Amino acid sequence: MNEKTEVKDIDRSLHDKKNESKHRYQSAKGLTPEVIKEISREKKEPKWMLEFRLKALEIYKKKEIPTWGADISDLDMENIITYVRPDADLQSDWDQVPDEIKDTFDALGIPEAEKESLAGVGAQYDSEVVYHNLKEEMVEQGVIYMDMENAVKKHEDLVKDHFMKLITPNDHKFSALHGAVWSGGSFVYVPAGVDVDIPLQSYFRQNAPGSGQFEHTLIILEEGANAHFIEGCSAPKYSVNNLHAGAVELFINKGAKLRYSTIENWSRNMYNLNTKRALVEEDGVIEWVSGSFGSKVSMLYPMSILKGARARAEFTGVTFAAEGQYLDTGAQVIHAAPNTTSTVNSRSIAKDGGHAYYRGLLKVTENAHGAKASVACESLMLDNESKSDTLPIMKLQTDDIDIGHEAKVGRISEEAIFYLMSRGISEEEAKAMIVRGFVEPIASELPLEYAVELNNLINLELEGTIG
Amino acid sequence: MYNKKLVDNLTTGQSKLLSSKRRDSFKVFEKLTKSDFNRINLFNYQFPEYSPYNKEYLKEKKWQSQIVLKKMTDNLNNEEEILNYLEEFKGKKVKKGNQGLDEKYLSMVDAFYNTGLFIKVPRNTELKLPVEIFYELDKENPVLIDNNLIVAEENSKLTIVIDYRMKDQELAAFHNGLTRVIVKENAVLNIIKVQRFNDQSDNFDSNISLVSNQGELNWIPIELGARNSVTNNENTLIDDGSRASISSVYFADGDRKLDLGFKMNHQGRHSSSEIESRGVLKDRAQKVFRGDLYFQKGAGQAKGTEKEEVLLLDKTVDSDSIPALFSEEDNVEGEHAVSAGQIDEQRLFYLMSRGMSKAEAKQLMVEAAFNPVFDKIPLNDLKGSVINEVKTRIRS
Repeated sequence: MNEKTEVKDIDRSLHDKKNESKHRYQSAKGLTPEVIKEISREKKEPKWMLEFRLKALEIYKKKEIPTWGADISDLDMENIITYVRPDADLQSDWDQVPDEIKDTFDALGIPEAEKESLAGVGAQYDSEVVYHNLKEEMVEQGVIYMDMENAVKKHEDLVKDHFMKLITPNDHKFSALHGAVWSGGSFVYVPAGVDVDIPLQSYFRQNAPGSGQFEHTLIILEEGANAHFIEGCSAPKYSVNNLHAGAVELFINKGAKLRYSTIENWSRNMYNLNTKRALVEEDGVIEWVSGSFGSKVSMLYPMSILKGARARAEFTGVTFAAEGQYLDTGAQVIHAAPNTTSTVNSRSIAKDGGHAYYRGLLKVTENAHGAKASVACESLMLDNESKSDTLPIMKLQTDDIDIGHEAKVGRISEEAIFYLMSRGISEEEAKAMIVRGFVEPIASELPLEYAVELNNLINLELEGTIG
Repeated sequence: MYNKKLVDNLTTGQSKLLSSKRRDSFKVFEKLTKSDFNRINLFNYQFPEYSPYNKEYLKEKKWQSQIVLKKMTDNLNNEEEILNYLEEFKGKKVKKGNQGLDEKYLSMVDAFYNTGLFIKVPRNTELKLPVEIFYELDKENPVLIDNNLIVAEENSKLTIVIDYRMKDQELAAFHNGLTRVIVKENAVLNIIKVQRFNDQSDNFDSNISLVSNQGELNWIPIELGARNSVTNNENTLIDDGSRASISSVYFADGDRKLDLGFKMNHQGRHSSSEIESRGVLKDRAQKVFRGDLYFQKGAGQAKGTEKEEVLLLDKTVDSDSIPALFSEEDNVEGEHAVSAGQIDEQRLFYLMSRGMSKAEAKQLMVEAAFNPVFDKIPLNDLKGSVINEVKTRIRS
């Protein structure tokens, strides 16, 4: 008989901390133009933004809910409270952040991380950013890192030129919803040639039950700039289903390089329907590092559009689907210029009835001669209650290209366990080693603090409970 | 057109049970709206007017008396047996993907087939020579709707070659076919299907199989012609140790469009499958490759591999690959690999340095890719003409 490897659920007690919901203002349930106007008035937005929101709302009403992928029929769209403002004004000093909110962030290790090595911390609590800070020297070099609300007012032209140009409300129902009710998020601008050598971080949390989070992240890297942005997400558990429909737009100009890392650990009642897109100009580089662990349902397919010659995209992702989770994730790469290259490396683990789905797209357009791409997907199944699916779609429209794809599904190899055991390692430790080794390519791509969080999520838990 | 009147005509004087099967299928057919094949931009396809198929298509030989060979359009006296076999396909429906091309095209064949064969190899019977079927289309027979049922009973062994062809280069012909296959315990069945219609004709073909305990089914689909060719090959490995393989070859040139679907549904333990597809695209040809490996729950120790290689000869081609791996079972081994690109420059250069022209060198490379599959064609004449067909198309 083959022994099954048991992996206990990740300890979520840290992330399941929840505070009593206490808010000054909540918009009425359901979506009407009046709700949108109210949101915009509260935010004191310029008129064009209100008009944009109303237009997006119209599109949202017309669009159908996608019929492929996850079953989202449980999601009661009319009952999602779209805008919840936490009971705090924007703080620039950590000490002034309300204790309740601080405690949760403290538990998640945010201020410590900042003290150590971070350029800035933007922590989004529900829909608005409560804390934002950027190291002095970065400001002096012209780097802008602030919440989206303020960016709309303070850097109106820059925002207007880029906001929802890459992800438009016409793309799908949830991008339209996002356009109508977006709130919070980060704005990053790095001037030409500036190298932000320490990572910028944003931490998102959702606290109010039944609230949606629609943060907008807009990052613009000018020619030759270099930055690393880290987005971490976790939320406490509530009985009402939560919706997350954020948007991330990344503009990477000539020769610029951006690394965008995400550790996503939403609570297990969250519908994570995020849209992420990067536009990469000549010789630019986008690197995605993505860890999907939380949420009830995820449908997340970061897209890299390689628009300029020799632009490059790299995607490294790990998905861990446990009991009750349906995680449908994958990378999309569009090669739209000559000699562009891309590498996609995806790993997924399914256990305890979890369903991990890799759904990717690789498209090479007519003028992308000399394009090179490789897609590798590996899935590990820890039991036969779980499901693991792989669906990488490739669309090639020219001849002078070099495309490779590989995918594998299976369980932990008996031979590998046997080998390790023959070297004096216990069976449990051998299995744990193999699982850890499986996610190692992703762990090693993360900065230390996040590798530690990833450890919280996998490594340490696996070590103690496998066997 | 394809209405009740036509069903009435087709069932007049025909055996009772099969006639009622036609009528039931028509009820399904008339309710369905037209189906589209989006990826090759084939929308709202209109079936051409019905016409009977009266051409002789079976090379009957003496030794074939060992097997049962009947035309589905004849007034059959073994219709109960046929219906019993057809029953086996019910309840085997798998969640991911429909059976065959699509319900519209399937029910169209079941209701309006104008030809087709029932072939049964009895238990413990082994035929050394292949059964040869030639479905040829011409001016008098421009529509082919073939409904085939092939059964390999326990411990039997058979090879069948089906050649879909036409000599007329001007005629716009139509084919919508359905081949159901049952492979029983320990039986081995090889099916070679060659499609070489002209560039004005449309080809739709569904192939569905059930493979039992230790049975083995090997498909060799060779796709060389047709303006639009949409095919599906779906195999369900229902028992312990069932095996199935597909060795596909395709060549598409001009403005031709191909949509090829291959599917392996693993239900039985230790079942194994292999999908291998090699293709070449030239000019403005468009191709979609869909390969599904599906491990259903309970298919412990099943193994499936899928490999696609495509050579792109021109800038203007369009190649889609959708290899899918679905797994509900941890104790399986599944893998797929796709590679796409141009002919290796170095090899081309080597051949040219030996005095070959670029065209000759390319042709040789294509042949090298196809020959391992062509070598499996058991009829030398057919093999020769298939190789010639590829040669002509590469040069044009």
